[in-house]
Amino acid sequence: MKRDILVAVSLLVAFLFIAYAVTVKNVLGLGGAELRPLGEFYLSNAFAHEGLTSHSPEVVTAIVWNYRGFDTLFETFVFFLAIMGALSVLRLTDEQEKLVRELEATMPHRQMDLIVRATTKLVVIMIIAISASIALHGHLTPGGGFQGGSAMAVAALLLFAAFSKFTLERKGLTLKHTISAYAVGLALILATVLAPVFLYNGKVLEINLLPGEMGLFNLDVGEYLAVAFGFLTVFLVLGIPEWVFKVVLRGELND
Amino acid sequence: MIELHLLILVIVVSFGFVFSYLAMKEHDLLKALALSSVQSTFFALGFYILAAPDIVLAYLAIAVGAYTALVILAISKTERYEVGE
Repeated sequence: MKRDILVAVSLLVAFLFIAYAVTVKNVLGLGGAELRPLGEFYLSNAFAHEGLTSHSPEVVTAIVWNYRGFDTLFETFVFFLAIMGALSVLRLTDEQEKLVRELEATMPHRQMDLIVRATTKLVVIMIIAISASIALHGHLTPGGGFQGGSAMAVAALLLFAAFSKFTLERKGLTLKHTISAYAVGLALILATVLAPVFLYNGKVLEINLLPGEMGLFNLDVGEYLAVAFGFLTVFLVLGIPEWVFKVVLRGELND
Repeated sequence: MIELHLLILVIVVSFGFVFSYLAMKEHDLLKALALSSVQSTFFALGFYILAAPDIVLAYLAIAVGAYTALVILAISKTERYEVGE
């Protein structure tokens, strides 16, 4: 125990020493450095309103969509592959899904007490409102589809914890519905990305679709849906209790 | 001379540092998870001071919400206490 504290304190002292050396004494020469050419280019060209541009007044979004469009597109692909990987490792046939539902219905119906449930309802409404506001004008203010979508997934997780997975599934948040919503989001993103090719023989990701600063609204909505329901899909699959999975797998062995 | 926001940054990040050390040394995995989400909150404050609100929004939702929930689900499928040494 004493050794642990000694290690922690010495690491902290080392960290503070490095921080002091870098910021105050300017050992690495980072402080007060001149603007590099790349930074200067972005600063002067981020707020572009002519030619092919996202018209975004928010500098991060402007750089991401004017210069780094493929980054976000491939990020969506990676997320898609991760979710498809999780789904294909933990896949179930129709009969097995029915069996899982029957087994989960026999479990003792646990939920937290009234105070927690009532507060959670209020907090979830607030989180969903905030996530929508982060996502739906993410092209104008800091934030965007990914940030808003993950906040929305957190709201659904709170519901999982305070009520139960079974309650939510009875209310309609089943795997089929979340996968469909995920597919709608992906379709919206793909449509936005491919639309210039079909509409006016442009290139992929030429994003001047909606007029002016509305230009990225559809991408925001698509990413919001895709990320929120992508996360929820994974959580719904992982949320199946271990013993239910064991029963299902044992049934697979006996067949 | 040193500026106030840099001082706050150092304090916040060193708190995050302490909590990440505690999370590494903890043998109860659920407690370690709680400590690591405290650490992420401090780092999110650090990102805010560094003027990166985009990162703050994504980092808070992922590190405190989604990551914690994923690891809780993983722990629920194994054991809560780390054994060894």
